[in-house]
Amino acid sequence: MSQSEPPGGIFGLSYDGETRAFEALKLVSTAIIVLVGAWPIYWMTQLAFTEYETVEDAVTVFPTPEIFTVSNFTVLTDPEMYTYMFNTVVVAIGTIVTVVIVSLVAGYGLARLDFPQKENFARILLIGYLFSPIVIGIPLYQIWRSIGLLGTRIGLIIALSAVSMPFAVWLMWKYIMTIPEAHEEAAWVDGASRWRGFRDVVVPQCRPAIIAAALFAFALAWNDFTFAQILLPQTDTTTFAPGILRAMGQAQFLPDAYLMAISLAMTLPPLLFAYFMQSYLLKGFQVRAL
Amino acid sequence: MASETGESIRPRGTYIPWDELPVERETVVGVGTVLPVVVLYTLIAVFPIAFAFWASLHDIHTLNPEWEWVGFANYAEVLNISTFWGSLWRGIVYMVGSTLLQLAVGLWMALVLNRITRGQKLLTAVVFTAYLIPTIIVSLVALRVFDPLGGVFQMMGAEWFGLWSSQTAPLGSRDWAMRLLILIGSWKFAVFVTIFTLAQLRAIPDRFYEAAKVCGANRWQMFRDITLPRLMGIVLVVVLLRSIFMFNKFDIIWQLTQGGPGNATTTLPVLAYKTVYTDQAYGLANAISVVMFLFLLASAIVYFKLFNPSEEVETTT
Repeated sequence: MSQSEPPGGIFGLSYDGETRAFEALKLVSTAIIVLVGAWPIYWMTQLAFTEYETVEDAVTVFPTPEIFTVSNFTVLTDPEMYTYMFNTVVVAIGTIVTVVIVSLVAGYGLARLDFPQKENFARILLIGYLFSPIVIGIPLYQIWRSIGLLGTRIGLIIALSAVSMPFAVWLMWKYIMTIPEAHEEAAWVDGASRWRGFRDVVVPQCRPAIIAAALFAFALAWNDFTFAQILLPQTDTTTFAPGILRAMGQAQFLPDAYLMAISLAMTLPPLLFAYFMQSYLLKGFQVRAL
Repeated sequence: MASETGESIRPRGTYIPWDELPVERETVVGVGTVLPVVVLYTLIAVFPIAFAFWASLHDIHTLNPEWEWVGFANYAEVLNISTFWGSLWRGIVYMVGSTLLQLAVGLWMALVLNRITRGQKLLTAVVFTAYLIPTIIVSLVALRVFDPLGGVFQMMGAEWFGLWSSQTAPLGSRDWAMRLLILIGSWKFAVFVTIFTLAQLRAIPDRFYEAAKVCGANRWQMFRDITLPRLMGIVLVVVLLRSIFMFNKFDIIWQLTQGGPGNATTTLPVLAYKTVYTDQAYGLANAISVVMFLFLLASAIVYFKLFNPSEEVETTT
């Protein structure tokens, strides 16, 4: 705080005035965020609960009782849609598990063990991000075909895990560095092996970073369009994003209200994830270095 | 690291044959921990990239597995195809435009979310959801609200603000397609910035602000001298990542406009995809992607030289 600046608020406002201005600004900002952030989700929800004939003909704002319906959600039990969503869930869970396990072990190695070139190793990992998924996807099609992973969910899980890996490894590495090594040393003194120390001391303390890495992997898997489009050419193993595009191309008529019902079903898991995990999540992302 | 006597207290465990090797045991275990990463990374990055580079030296028809060696002819052709420079330019516009917008909006959202008292958890969840829902859903909703037949944003733009005529599909108009792509992409990805900066904001101890208040600092001074320096490190990293991701973005552009109208939203990834599947020129497409990579690599090196995000960060950790 420099001495030359006058005490009090900005623009010559008094403290009280400044506080009032700040509160007002905060309120307006919150309103805008609510509007911009929640509005598309609201719009999706209201269309999902409105009769599809009405949605096709007119602009609706709220599903009033005469046009309210839950019948749009019957599209979820359509075998095709069900398969797409089931595949997406399997791929997302598979990716999360792989990413968390591999990045925890690697993060521990980078943080606690000394081996040559480890910083450079971590830097080189990030170069992978310089290649567009579309660029990696096309050669991967050939590689997966020759080793028999093409069209399998495992193939997509491996691809997506590898893509979220560099970032997750960075996250774990930096997070484990913030845990004092003394905690493990205490365990070692008591005769624990390195593995025991890792399992019983480090992993429990890593919970926020695990959740953050899991969320990153989840977002990637849940979002993915490019890899799934290229690597899962058959319909029965494909995930939601390319599946729905193909369904839209083939179906004579797939009403918007149905699409919104499906979209809502795919939005709920992330919303719940974000609501219940956010404090851990934010703690996990408190690493400053990349 | 070591106990006070200077002797390592790290556990050594039982004898394994590795101990005979001329390298430290710790090196072996350390390399072992990153081995799965190396294997995955080799499969998904090193092989495909090497493959792409090798393919870029050949003339390949997409549906025909004959590879004809042409050396660097594809690269000469890349620089000559009329759409290349335009696509590069549009890619830069998209990258810079959306990164700046996302940075501004993301930071602002984080600052507000950090300060509101009521409904904070719910609003944070709603904001985060934007980043977590599948891109395809964002596209579907966007296509619907900008549709001339009953799209509510299309209607507002036409009737309230007179931005376009009521028959125009804004996503199919030369003037609006790129701007809307930037806006829609930013709606989703600004949250990435928010998550990281909000995490940093939560990590600043309240006593810093209390101390500043006692010293008579106003809110702007507190922001400038406490908040901003603590955010700088992560902001530099996030800007780097977002720029790379936006430059490489394919899915949302393809889903919304397929690069059209004309070439108005064709960025380099879209051009590469079109070259593979429309022009059936697999070798040429790989040359485009290698050029893209080189461009990003050069930009990233310049960025590191200018700002050095990792060093910035190390000093504050």
